[in-house]
Amino acid sequence: MSSAIEFKQTGHLDSALLDPAAASNVEKLLGRWANTNRETRGIAECEIQRDGDQFRIQIFGAGENELIPWPPVRAKALANLEEEAGQRTIALAASFEFGFMKSEIYIRVNKGVLVIVLYNTFQDDSGRSNYLNREFFYRVA
Amino acid sequence: MQFAQLSDRVEINGSNAPMDTRALPGVWINSNPNTSGIARMVMSESDGQLSLQVFAVGPDGLIDWGNARVNVFAGLPTSKVGAGFTCNFDFGFAETELQGMIMKGLLVLAQFHRFKDNSKRADFFVREYFALEHGRYE
Repeated sequence: MSSAIEFKQTGHLDSALLDPAAASNVEKLLGRWANTNRETRGIAECEIQRDGDQFRIQIFGAGENELIPWPPVRAKALANLEEEAGQRTIALAASFEFGFMKSEIYIRVNKGVLVIVLYNTFQDDSGRSNYLNREFFYRVA
Repeated sequence: MQFAQLSDRVEINGSNAPMDTRALPGVWINSNPNTSGIARMVMSESDGQLSLQVFAVGPDGLIDWGNARVNVFAGLPTSKVGAGFTCNFDFGFAETELQGMIMKGLLVLAQFHRFKDNSKRADFFVREYFALEHGRYE
């Protein structure tokens, strides 16, 4: 990689970032996933589909008697150049806008477990604290 | 009260107490001495607002990213104890979003790097671990 390329850390100069395979291996993310905790009060299910060079993410929040479908969003895969637990992982980052709240999430797979980390920011005057959460999912389809 | 998941639906008792952010300020050191990314971060508080200064590994020493405003997150919508944060750096040629979560004193930092130039570099993420320098055992 040319030294004329701008960077803010050595990682920005990693030649692997120019390798198309860096963002491959995405099949591990695809499918329908269910929370490992059936008593969750957060995200109950998640469905990830390929949509061209992006991904369509559909999340279902836990509701009182039924699941709450979140508006589907599209996201682009992010490469991970470092192996984690002996595997190279892929991540998705997406933002959900509800009006009263915004949820920023990132999704990754590690050894067959889908991990979703959420950062929820309330935009109403309800007095609720912005909060984060992390949940684990297994593949159901 | 609107909610997208049951965990959003909570009773608020009218407490308007500020967020307890005592777990966050200080110098955070990457657990990996061979990182090619962020080596050290300094979280500071001024007038109740947290900011983060990042020092990343460069070919000729550490690169100071400067300061970014920090958004603090609790572990629950009823909690007033800071358990994580987000912040953004815009370098022009790239944007980096940081999402941190503290677990048992360890800061797990997810980094999302998106390039805005025409270098054809892949957007990427890194997850690294940081410890707070506390000096208690020195």
